[in-house]
Amino acid sequence: MVNISLTVNEELFEVSVREDLRLIDLLRDELGLIGTKEGCGEGECGACTIIMDGETVNSCLVMAFQANGSNILTIEGMEKEGNIHPIQQAYIDVGAVQCGFCIPGMVLSTKALLDKNPHPSKEEIREGISGNLCRCTGYNKMIHATEKAMEYMEEGK
Amino acid sequence: MTLKEVYNGRSVEEVVGLLGEYGNGAKLISGGTDIVIELKNKKITPKILIDISKIEELKEIREDENYITLGSGVTFTEIIENPLFSGNLHGLYKACRMVGSPQIRNKGTIGGNIANGSSAADGVPPLIALGATIKTLSIEGTREIPLEDYYIDKLKSNEIIIEVKFKKPNNNQILTFAKLGLRKALAISRLSIASLIGLNEEGIIESVTIASGALGKYPMREEEVEEYLINKKIDEKIIEEAITTLQNSMDERLKGRSTLPYKRVAVSSILRENLEELIKSRIEVEAW
Repeated sequence: MVNISLTVNEELFEVSVREDLRLIDLLRDELGLIGTKEGCGEGECGACTIIMDGETVNSCLVMAFQANGSNILTIEGMEKEGNIHPIQQAYIDVGAVQCGFCIPGMVLSTKALLDKNPHPSKEEIREGISGNLCRCTGYNKMIHATEKAMEYMEEGK
Repeated sequence: MTLKEVYNGRSVEEVVGLLGEYGNGAKLISGGTDIVIELKNKKITPKILIDISKIEELKEIREDENYITLGSGVTFTEIIENPLFSGNLHGLYKACRMVGSPQIRNKGTIGGNIANGSSAADGVPPLIALGATIKTLSIEGTREIPLEDYYIDKLKSNEIIIEVKFKKPNNNQILTFAKLGLRKALAISRLSIASLIGLNEEGIIESVTIASGALGKYPMREEEVEEYLINKKIDEKIIEEAITTLQNSMDERLKGRSTLPYKRVAVSSILRENLEELIKSRIEVEAW
């Protein structure tokens, strides 16, 4: 076992983890943050996307011990004081959510995109979510949701 | 998994010490985009895993008068976002831009792309075309290896790749890249070609290095095509002949492989894209 400390959703955790544990297993099985999904387990589908030190990563491709000292945001951390994030509201309002399995990762990719580039073009939005596969909706709804989220976030300012 | 110990590497010096001590039993991990899958599938079973993803000295991009040096821990995203790789180095930008997905590019490193040794590594053909060398460090000291020899002169178990370095192209040289994947995002290269070509004022090719990915056991120089193209002026006939030259060398190299008929056809559009992009970029570069 190896002792690591990491910040997840603004909370500091000091945990002892198995050497061969992946970050997704730490988040889901040890910390109970089951919003992060495991789909393919090899970096294709993006269902396990989280934001680690400001950038999206596939948490199935990171070892837990590598997250020592890192700052992590999962879908659970998008909610503030009981209110969901404007990106999540936009996804609901345009009907971008069907089965929901890809949504936590999709929302975090959207957030990382808008953090870097608050006014992306359609092409940039497509590129931003290109690492997240959805088998229900196609991607147009997510693009609309991202555009709607841009409006909400501007209004919120 | 037989994994006994893991380390968060803090400095290159510390990592070299650990590799010296554990050698074969140790494995380095940085972006993890290939190795975590190999660990999970027990394709590799190291006893010791050393994370090098947070070592700052491996994450530098340096430029001096003649050379550009990339730390081995530089990620594809960091290359894409650096303005150095525009203009006549656009081919390197393009190759890194086409790797995996945003998530993979945020984690995957240029050193890992080389160390992993895949024939389809997208970052490698542009670097071979640029004549890049890699620098390794071990308790025995440093080694500099031309990247095109790296696949024969393998990394030793006690070595770490610390940087990859290449000479900046001249103003008349342009690096181009084209890749064929199965789809736009998240595609592993079925084949790729990068070329660094210098044209004189009359548009005649005065220098040429071409490197391919996934056209053999490892990324390699395409010397027969280079020999054909040197001192020629690119037009439709020359492009066709260059394609035939490449197909002929592939026939030898990939004889008996089931993918040969497909690659033979596919390679023509990829080499063509390189040469046509060269002509297009030349016009743009002149306009700057």
